[in-house]
Amino acid sequence: MLREVGNAVAVQLFKRLPWLAEHWARHHRFVEATAVPWARVTKPVKESVTALVTTAGVHLDSDPPFDMSDPEGDPSFREMPSDVDPRRLTITHNYYDHAAADRDINVVLPLGRLRELADEGQVGAVAPHAYSFMGHIDGRHLRTLLEETAPAVADRLRADGAEAVFLTPA
Amino acid sequence: MGLIQRAVESAGIPTIGITLQKEVTRRVKPPRALYLRYPFGHPMGEAFAVRQQRAILLAALRALETLTEPGAIVAPGWAWRRHRFD
Repeated sequence: MLREVGNAVAVQLFKRLPWLAEHWARHHRFVEATAVPWARVTKPVKESVTALVTTAGVHLDSDPPFDMSDPEGDPSFREMPSDVDPRRLTITHNYYDHAAADRDINVVLPLGRLRELADEGQVGAVAPHAYSFMGHIDGRHLRTLLEETAPAVADRLRADGAEAVFLTPA
Repeated sequence: MGLIQRAVESAGIPTIGITLQKEVTRRVKPPRALYLRYPFGHPMGEAFAVRQQRAILLAALRALETLTEPGAIVAPGWAWRRHRFD
C-alpha cells in the first residue's frame, strides 16, 4: 500500500518536474553504450512499410496485462494488429500518468496518425502489427529484454516487412 | 525504450524514437531520436490534438530520412501546450 502511494506521488512529480527526471537520470545506472547500431535508410518513408513500437504498456484488452507486482518490471511484449479498434486497447503501466493516453491512445501509440499519413501517400504502408513493452524494466529482467524479447520483436518486425520503425516511450 | 530501438536497428531496420529524457538518451545511445520537452506519458503530445500528433510523427519520419550521424538527437523545441500547430 505504502509503495503504491509512494509510486503514485513519484509519477506525478516526474510528470510535472522535468528537471527531476534529468537529475534522476544522472544518478541512475543505465546500460551505457559506446557503439551505436546503424541501419542505413535506403528508400524514402513514402515508399517504406512503417511500424510502431511503444514502451507505454499498451495491449489488447483480451491479452494478459503486464506484471505490475514485480519491482524489476516485466520484459515481455504484446502484439496488436495495426488496424485494431482503439476501444480494444488498454494500458497496464503504473509508472506514469496515462490519463491522456487512456482517452486517446494516439498520445502514446499513434496508429491513427500513421494510417492517415499512409492514406495520403506520405508513408508507404502501415506494417501489419504494432508491438508494446512495459518500459519499466530493471535488474534481472534487463538480460531477458536484451537477449530474448527485444530481438524477438526485431525478428517479428522483419517478418512483417517493416522498413522503418517509429518508437514511443511512456 | 532505447535498448529496444537498438535491437531493432541491429536487425537491419532503420529506427527513430521520441525521447522525453535527453540525459537517458545520451547514455543509452539509440541511433536516432527526436527530443520533446513534454511531460511523461505524452510522447505524441495532448489527447485529440491531431495536428500536434501529426506534426510530431512527420518531424520524426523526416529526421529518420535525413539524419546521417549515429546517435543524433534532434529537438524541434516546441513548448508544451504553448506551441501552435497549424
